[in-house]
Amino acid sequence: MAAEPLLETRAVSKRFGGVQAVSEVSLKLAPGELRCIIGPNGAGKSTLFKLLLGSIAPDEGTIHFQGRDVTRLQPHERAHLGIGVKFQNLAVYNALTVRHNLLLPLRHQFGSREVEDEIARLLARLNLVGTEDRLVGSLAHGQKQWLAIGMALAMRPKLLLLDEPTAGMGTEESSATGALIQAVTAEGVGAIVVEHDMAFVRELKAPVTVLHYGRVFAEGSFAAIEAHEEVRRIYLGAARSERPRRLRNRQP
Amino acid sequence: MDTLTFIVSLLYQYADTLALLLLAAIGLIVIFGMMGVINMANGEMMMIGAYITSFSYYAGIPTPLAVIFGGLGAGLVGIVIELLIIRRFYGQLLASLVATWGLSLIMSQGAYLLLGPLIKSVPTPFGSFGVGDLSFSYYRIFIFAMGLALVAAVWALFAFSRFGLHARATMEDPSMARALGVDVKRIYSLTFGLGTGLAGVAGGLLALTSTIGPFYGQTYTPQAFITVVVGGGAEIVSGLLASALSLGLVKTVVMNQVNILLGHVAMLVFALVVIRMMPSGISDWVERRRSQGRRA
Amino acid sequence: MLPLARLIDRALGPVNGPLETGRSPPFWLIFLGVVAVLVIAPSFLSRYELLNFSNFLTNIFLALGLCLIWGYAGILSLGQSAFLGLGGYAYGVVGINLIEAHGNTWLALLAGLGFPVLVAALLGWIMFYARLKGVYVAILMLVVTLLIETFLNQTAGQGWSIGLAHLGGNNGLGRFSGVIREPPSLTLGFSADAMMIFGGKTRAFYYLIVGLGVVSYLGLRALVNSRLGHVLVAIREDPDRTETLGYDVRRLQLGVFCLSALLASLSGILYVSWGNFITPNVFGVYYNILPVIWVAVAGRKSLTATVLGAVFLVWLSQKLAIQGDIAFVVLGFILLGGMMLLPEGVITGIGERIGRLFDRLGIGAATRGGRHGG
Repeated sequence: MAAEPLLETRAVSKRFGGVQAVSEVSLKLAPGELRCIIGPNGAGKSTLFKLLLGSIAPDEGTIHFQGRDVTRLQPHERAHLGIGVKFQNLAVYNALTVRHNLLLPLRHQFGSREVEDEIARLLARLNLVGTEDRLVGSLAHGQKQWLAIGMALAMRPKLLLLDEPTAGMGTEESSATGALIQAVTAEGVGAIVVEHDMAFVRELKAPVTVLHYGRVFAEGSFAAIEAHEEVRRIYLGAARSERPRRLRNRQP
Repeated sequence: MDTLTFIVSLLYQYADTLALLLLAAIGLIVIFGMMGVINMANGEMMMIGAYITSFSYYAGIPTPLAVIFGGLGAGLVGIVIELLIIRRFYGQLLASLVATWGLSLIMSQGAYLLLGPLIKSVPTPFGSFGVGDLSFSYYRIFIFAMGLALVAAVWALFAFSRFGLHARATMEDPSMARALGVDVKRIYSLTFGLGTGLAGVAGGLLALTSTIGPFYGQTYTPQAFITVVVGGGAEIVSGLLASALSLGLVKTVVMNQVNILLGHVAMLVFALVVIRMMPSGISDWVERRRSQGRRA
Repeated sequence: MLPLARLIDRALGPVNGPLETGRSPPFWLIFLGVVAVLVIAPSFLSRYELLNFSNFLTNIFLALGLCLIWGYAGILSLGQSAFLGLGGYAYGVVGINLIEAHGNTWLALLAGLGFPVLVAALLGWIMFYARLKGVYVAILMLVVTLLIETFLNQTAGQGWSIGLAHLGGNNGLGRFSGVIREPPSLTLGFSADAMMIFGGKTRAFYYLIVGLGVVSYLGLRALVNSRLGHVLVAIREDPDRTETLGYDVRRLQLGVFCLSALLASLSGILYVSWGNFITPNVFGVYYNILPVIWVAVAGRKSLTATVLGAVFLVWLSQKLAIQGDIAFVVLGFILLGGMMLLPEGVITGIGERIGRLFDRLGIGAATRGGRHGG
């Protein structure tokens, strides 16, 4: 076996009431590796996401991060170990300025002098220069998404968890986000992208894990997954009727 | 007291406690479960139900019909409140809670100003029966049955009717339901009216056992809230039943051994333990035990 | 910019920040004016007016505590007066027992502040560490306070004494229970012949409250504009997100909840010191809805608005109480109307408009874009 995996889940399961949301999911991610997790609605993607970030604990199975068992650690503890998270919804603080949003994660690691350089560096990387003292509530949708990713990056993570990073973005913004994610993984940061938008997954050119009814249904390159007959049936077929923006075409 | 009398009296107390918990909480938990809104004026809806019941009774209307009028009246008031107030606070749960608390203040104090500290109470029907040297009221057993019947009716309504289907779809995902042609606003109005109507019926039923005044409904507030805290977050009917059955047991045992105040305190302590041990709610916990049992 | 304005801006750095309304030089001039008026008030108020005004002011700490947890940290408690009551009772019971032997109320003060905080810590540990949702926290606190009220109402019998203090059922601690021992006023000092007694009718009591009020107000302003304050607002806006940024949300919620209980207990102790009595009423629905009305109507996201709203609304309810039972109906309408028309609060709404006017006139520019906290 090669180098120690960055993240490893061993037969992780989670049940809600009578529903088995995640069932014996085992994943391995190497440092600098990018992985997409896809699946139809209710496949257990968001439950798996929560298990990885630590807001819920699994009923069975363990989660290891850099060889350390983090199964029972709280989200804030995992954050300090190097797990950065960007949620699906616009998880930025509208009542605070861009600067204060970025200060929240940065203050753990930097003194007051370096923090200014770090803010400048992040603003440049996120195309947010000049918005520093604006309230986040006044930013455009795409800018908020980038700020949310930027706050995850500000934690200097070794692993990034991204839930639908391009939700609500236009094509151009999506590509720029894809490029940003690829640039970050090229620096050695592992990343898991939970995604609904197949076009974006194609663009990332990363290995894909397909969840279905809480289980790992298939794994492989995007090309292999796209060609996978069963996956097309369960996922691509289902996705067509479940993407809300396609509901316009729904027949009465 | 012989053993038989003791057992009968314990069962009677359990049924009575259960009836109070179910009736006090049913309207609250229907609204909370479907809309996420805590109706702080639930006690006042019970008061309205009780007042209408009393007025109808003394206007010569037969008791069962008087109670139904109480439910209908409270239901209508609820729909109006939804249209005028609750609608403004969709998605702001704490704000709707505070606004309904203001409403509760206006209604209870308003009733006090307009109608005084007490109105005429309605006599308890049916008489009583004796076991050993203790006597028990048939009506208490009747309202226990009515509590269960209301729960069953709510279950049937959500499980089988068109309204129930639309309501469940709305609860699951309002925007999806809207896209599927459900009139979401109407569902919310009707659900709120259903909840307050149930509180009105409960108020009418319980009014036959006590004195009635403007703050009559508020006396049930602690029990109703504890029931929601323990049973909330789960599916409405199973949550309500699991919560009332367990809380009722705790209260009955403590009440029987010590006194009624400690019975209430024991319910609170039980609720706090449940929260700490089973954050996702008691019925979820029960369900999980059951499915683990099945697998083992 | 005038050098003086810059100097003032620098001096006010810690208490000035984006998380509080009123941070322009005119605001601070008005603030100084208000404090000055408060200081000289005893010279022009009658004895009765001063007694009454002192009573209003005791509520400030309760209101500030609720504003802090609800407006800034997003935790609504419908049973905040429970901590006021527990503080008052704990202070009263210990005070009755020890005043003669000790000649002072230091230990009673400690008990009055400590007991509610312990209760808050226990409840908070259960609620926040179970990640209980906001609505549950709100109603659970109401249940707690109502059960304490029911319990205390049953303590009329002779058995219900703690040492020399008789709990007195619904008559409470104090002169109405027909027992001679009533809770003492705060009696503080370091030697037997130099004791300050802060009875409700004294100027000392009035100045104690004004002093504590100003310190609490400025201290909380500094808190909400500090690093910690930003984290609290972040928790209010999105607790899950804030956890993934490395903050232990549960611990911070518990901490701020305990601080609010401490503030409420201060109100309770001062209330007992003012009137030498306390009854289970303070645990009831009405005492608990009042702070919610003040904070909601004035503006929960502003400490300044909360203080002004609390004083005004307490004054208003006293005026209304003279008219008879209509007070609570009017307050109910004020709460409901306020929530519907100006959900962010009446004073906050007006304050923001005035602030915008100043901005347009260029007066408030001194503090715009400044870097705070850090």
